[in-house]
Amino acid sequence: MDVRAVVLIGGAKGDVPGAQERIGGVPFAYLDVLGLPIVERVQRRLQGFGVSCISFISDSPCDSGPFAHAIEFAPTIPHVHAEGEQLWQTAEETFVKYAEGGADLIFALRIGPYVEVDYEALVQHHLDHHCAVTMAVDSDKEPLDLFVLSASARTDAAALFKNRMQRMRRECAPFYVTGYFNRLETTADLRRLAVDGLLAKNAIRPEGAEIKPGIWVGTGARIHRKARVIAPAFIGAHAKVRAAALITRGTVIEHYGDVDCGTVVENSSVLPFTRVGAGLDVMHSVVGFRRLAHLRQNVEVEIADQKIVGMVPLTPLSRLAGSTAALFAFLPMQIYRGLTASSQRTSAAECPESLEQAHIVLDAPVVEVPATGAETSEFPSHLAVARRYGDK
Amino acid sequence: MPEKMNLKQARKFLKEVEPFLISDRPQVVFDMSQVRHIDAAGVDVLLRCMRETMKHDGDLKLASLSPQAAVVLELTRAGRLFEIYETSTAAAKSFSCFLPNAIKHVYAQPLDGLLQMPSDSDQSGGAGLAA
Repeated sequence: MDVRAVVLIGGAKGDVPGAQERIGGVPFAYLDVLGLPIVERVQRRLQGFGVSCISFISDSPCDSGPFAHAIEFAPTIPHVHAEGEQLWQTAEETFVKYAEGGADLIFALRIGPYVEVDYEALVQHHLDHHCAVTMAVDSDKEPLDLFVLSASARTDAAALFKNRMQRMRRECAPFYVTGYFNRLETTADLRRLAVDGLLAKNAIRPEGAEIKPGIWVGTGARIHRKARVIAPAFIGAHAKVRAAALITRGTVIEHYGDVDCGTVVENSSVLPFTRVGAGLDVMHSVVGFRRLAHLRQNVEVEIADQKIVGMVPLTPLSRLAGSTAALFAFLPMQIYRGLTASSQRTSAAECPESLEQAHIVLDAPVVEVPATGAETSEFPSHLAVARRYGDK
Repeated sequence: MPEKMNLKQARKFLKEVEPFLISDRPQVVFDMSQVRHIDAAGVDVLLRCMRETMKHDGDLKLASLSPQAAVVLELTRAGRLFEIYETSTAAAKSFSCFLPNAIKHVYAQPLDGLLQMPSDSDQSGGAGLAA
């Protein structure tokens, strides 16, 4: 049986507040989760079930600024860019193309939700019920934006895509998904997906070697010997964890992520090519594309300051240039700082008056203090000034 | 406080509030409800303000933090250095709760819009500050 798939990325309903399915303009589908983008995981899963041909249709422009950082992952995935209504029209056209190309069944799914469905069982259910379209639903009968269509049911397919996968032309027996699913509507869902992967609650496995129980490290990742990583955690390929950093409580650092010295990353996800500055506390957050989504406060903040959250250069050449420049600039910078830095002390330190007075026993001052001419302060330095509270 | 607390705005803000910070025992509350963007320079200015007030035996408290400000303060570990209140009124009242009973009677009247409580040494005309 020839089974093909049309995968839509984007096209969210937009009627649920905060359910934007993207961060910094980048759809969650393109973001890495434990070392591999969600689209690639979906593709592998479909191919694993024998789907011969897959088309990805996205409503996100591939040439926009922050998005460019996320598209390096899988050059093998064919992409079609179509915005707004065009997205659904393109999906319909692709369906027709597949039907004319000899497909028997066609999966139509949207990411959107991440669903681990047994595709064989879904196909069997579709064939058993002799439906034109079968919809996958969760236990509450809520749709999961996953459909199986018979190639002959072109009118049903047209109606489905015209209604943005919200309504079918004919009601059919739904297929109840018993496996793992994540709606991936908010950044909290994205974080949940990564944590579930670390805890082996879903089929997502970290792309890396397990160096200690519960700690996975991707190829080329560098962890400073003074940094601390507490399981479960994932450090992606070519990521850097610098000295005195602490990575804990299910933290995920995706490829080319960079955690600077002394920073604590707790229960958070650092997205690809994201640099987290030194001495910070990143907690319960998803950080990336110069944004920070705080999951507890349910707020997404844009951070323009490169010292706090920045981007690692995308191309290897620019990364190399940056590293070389930093290396050669280090010594001159230190010399310049040493020459130009002002001393913290603005005037000569004053000795306490008691030292200047003649000692009872020695009949001479304890310390001879040269006359500086500096003004004496209001209080002698040895007198502690306590702050008054209430009647104390 | 201004909506943006970047380097330029933060410097401007510091210049504006500096006279209040160097007064005798300043008791200052910053209402941060309007702050939408705050960066390292903004946090640095807050810390400088705090240092100045502490030097003069006063205190600086923050109130009505916007979610953005709260996130950045938590991120930069600066949040734990300040006393943070839900409202400016609550922050202003917190200054008076340690006053001796005799003085409390004088200053227990509601002070609408006045965010700085006169300190006990400023009984003969302490300046108020609404930042």
